[in-house]
Amino acid sequence: MTDQITPINMPKWGMEMSEGDINTWYFAVGDQVNAGDDLVDIETSKIINTVTASDGGILRAIIGAQGETHAVGALLGVLASADVSDADIQAFIASNTSAAPEPEAAPEPVAASLVAAADPLETKAAPLVTEAAQPSNNLSKLAEGEDDSQVAASPVARRLAAEYGVNLNNISGTGRHDRVSKRDLEAAVLSAGGRLIGNSIDKSAGTTQFGDDSNVKATPVARRMADQLGINLLECRVSGDRGRVCKADVEAVAALKNKMSAPAGSHIAGIGGGIDGGNTVESQPISGMRKTIAARLQASKQTAPHFRVHIDAEIDALLDVRKQINSSNTDAKVSVNDFIIKACASALMKVPAINVQFDGEQLSYFSNADISVAVAIDDGLITPIVTSANHKGLVEISNTTRDLATRAKLGRLKPEEFQGGSFCISNLGMYGIKQFDAIINPPQGAILAVGAGEQRPVVKEGLLAVATVMSLSLSSDHRVIDGAVAAEFLSVLKGYLEQPATMLG
Amino acid sequence: MSMQQFDLMVVGGGPGGYVAAIRAAQLGFKTALVEKEHLGGVCLNWGCIPTKALLRGADIAHTLKEAEHFGFAFDNLSFDIKKLVQHSRSVASKLTHGVAYLMQKNGVTVIDGSASLADKCLLNVEHEGKITQYKATHIILATGARARNLPSIEIDGHRVWGAREAMTPTALPRKLLVIGGGAIGVEFASLYNDLGTDVTLVEAEQRITPAEDADISALAEKAFKQRGIKILTNSVVQSLDTSGSESVALISGPDGEQHLEFDQVILAVGITGNIENLGLESLKVETEKGFLQADGFGKTNLTGLYAIGDVAGPPWLAHKASHEAVICVEKIAGVDGVKPLNKDQVPGCTYCRPQIASVGLTEAQAKAAGHTVRVGRFNLNANGKALAINEAEGLVKTVFDQNSGELLGAHMIGPEVTEQIQGFGIAQQLEATEHELAQSIFAHPTVSESMHESVLDSLGIAIHQ
Repeated sequence: MTDQITPINMPKWGMEMSEGDINTWYFAVGDQVNAGDDLVDIETSKIINTVTASDGGILRAIIGAQGETHAVGALLGVLASADVSDADIQAFIASNTSAAPEPEAAPEPVAASLVAAADPLETKAAPLVTEAAQPSNNLSKLAEGEDDSQVAASPVARRLAAEYGVNLNNISGTGRHDRVSKRDLEAAVLSAGGRLIGNSIDKSAGTTQFGDDSNVKATPVARRMADQLGINLLECRVSGDRGRVCKADVEAVAALKNKMSAPAGSHIAGIGGGIDGGNTVESQPISGMRKTIAARLQASKQTAPHFRVHIDAEIDALLDVRKQINSSNTDAKVSVNDFIIKACASALMKVPAINVQFDGEQLSYFSNADISVAVAIDDGLITPIVTSANHKGLVEISNTTRDLATRAKLGRLKPEEFQGGSFCISNLGMYGIKQFDAIINPPQGAILAVGAGEQRPVVKEGLLAVATVMSLSLSSDHRVIDGAVAAEFLSVLKGYLEQPATMLG
Repeated sequence: MSMQQFDLMVVGGGPGGYVAAIRAAQLGFKTALVEKEHLGGVCLNWGCIPTKALLRGADIAHTLKEAEHFGFAFDNLSFDIKKLVQHSRSVASKLTHGVAYLMQKNGVTVIDGSASLADKCLLNVEHEGKITQYKATHIILATGARARNLPSIEIDGHRVWGAREAMTPTALPRKLLVIGGGAIGVEFASLYNDLGTDVTLVEAEQRITPAEDADISALAEKAFKQRGIKILTNSVVQSLDTSGSESVALISGPDGEQHLEFDQVILAVGITGNIENLGLESLKVETEKGFLQADGFGKTNLTGLYAIGDVAGPPWLAHKASHEAVICVEKIAGVDGVKPLNKDQVPGCTYCRPQIASVGLTEAQAKAAGHTVRVGRFNLNANGKALAINEAEGLVKTVFDQNSGELLGAHMIGPEVTEQIQGFGIAQQLEATEHELAQSIFAHPTVSESMHESVLDSLGIAIHQ
């Protein structure tokens, strides 16, 4: 029976995705769907992407209504032919929703309605957070403004705005087509000193208020201590187990209050930080590492005309400096590659036309060098990013790279740690490769391919000598990077590598 | 053949090292463990486990002694210490094989040999005269520690035993001198006393088990003296003459000096880290007083080098080593929510009779740290179960912060308190106050009801005393 029924499930895009928001259904219940049709848009904190139909059929039921959040793997809808009875559809839904192990799935039992998705705004009762007794100034400012119904916003963002009491006119959109995304909205709430509504909060309660901290999860010691010190638990970051405020969190606020007599708002809340370096990046989804590698490299070769320039750099001086650094610092084990990252960062600052991303329409210049470093792992390759490498010292770059490479091999990188980047380095020197060319990692504008440093005969002032030489190859997207610019970059890079003191200063 | 390379290598196969290797393998590290002698380390082979096997024999001896009280009478009772030692060794060997199985099951490469650092992230392993070099991004040293000698008295394995000889006797000593009243010293004193040896215990501090709360030490001393163990505190063994048929110890104490004769001596005056021949000096790895210096996650001052367990300093306990192993590896792997070791939450257990167990600060330590304390005490002689099993000597002491209600420390002496201390440990970890503990229902009749009563006493509302 079930083989005539095709479930539509919440997909898993990327390692860290655990749930997604239903953005837009392209079909209503009863519509005929063909295999390959776009079915529904799903939004995560990182991306919006479309689920396509793997099979044809009639859309018989929508379980994941627009605006709702569902766990990965949760049943969102059902496709089946017309001759499957409604009872069979109901039975299929019942067996596939009750068995779902995800505790984070929809908080209310899923009423498998066979009607089209209702507008969630109409069915929601009280807002989740009422700006209560003492709303902070910034938060109340977010609520002001004229009718925001015409502001371009994702359905999820619109629903959340209603829940937070935020007027969308006050949020600048950075989502797809400059729409206000969920992320924009949450960032605005956070920066105004507000708190995010967690999925774990009982959505029917809706009584959490600034001022009343009785609903905040806290350990008994933390609650008592906060009470005695006159600290509101809402002021505290949440670092205890299972999202509880613990003793250390209360102490942190107490310490802060002792330092500053007038604590500025309650933005000690420790949920995330700013975006490192301020480079704004539209990330790409990945579904299976190999699939991603294949798709991206193919797209790169097809769309970006690769223009390559080669140069040799003598690295004897660099090797001397490396030896000195490593022998005089116990906490440093700087590799040649770490020097190359640092040199590239410096060169990218000198030749900013290389530090770009190009998506075919827009050319984005980056103020900092976010350098992707290719790391070979068991089942493919991943490019963790050394962010703002231009602001980091060699030892910091080295320790960052070691940490990223360690976690890359364990599959424990967060998406933001490998998605993006303004430049890429691929080093095959450890395999003894003398020279190679690399394929640009789109939408980046260029990639550097690094070969092994080896002793070669060189001619100096008419005399034959021996030097340690490394061959470098820069592949750049010729649509946006001219030959002379690429050549300039390589020559600046060569200068830094041959005279390492100039980049360390 | 090119050099073998691992993501993570562990040096030492004790409860720190083997746990680190398993956790690393679980997380996906290509992992190797280097061990020069026996998997399981001192704990499984020459420490925690084999001594517990021997102490079980001591318990049986004690039970037989008081059997008459329960109406039993028998004669022709005999005891063969070799059989008890045999039992102890067979347990150790069983567990060592268990560790080898766990290594195999988790895909950890076990390398036999002695390891030393050749450079950052580079290990030399010497085995049967041959040196093999291995590269590892992360190296964890878990080389453990060994018994310390005194300047004037050294373990010779014959007249002066270290722990290893003391747990493999071939005959029962008649008159035994135990030098050192810490956990190891009192366990051996208790063991041999129960087996029938005349025991004298010498401690340089003013009380035995000086790391425990003073009330606990006092009760332990009282119980030991009642059992016939001679205790000399504030006393030092100045010299030991082993030339004659009996060893003659010159002991100086508050009452002056005295010469005492013994046929056996056990030296248990603390331990020192195994930091020699690891190549630490040339790489400028920081050590202090014989132990490696590391942060709360085991990270040393050398890139890619970590230290856990006994070699990383006190408390010298297997469970502390295992816990450090897990947080060290998880920190390297970037696991969310890893917290550094909180030494105030490491329980300590001593398996003398009566047993001693504690977690957190003593009353004196809590006061010294600036806490206004609220203290609860409950004596086991008011506990029904303790009276029923004729083990009513003991105390449960709880120390709370008066203001926050935090459980700062818990100190227990009595039957099987080593199995009960976990209750207080969990309460501490969950940041429970005295009120949560008071509201908890403890089953009757149990010895652990005294834990509840002690908490109630801190609030002035103990029911049974």
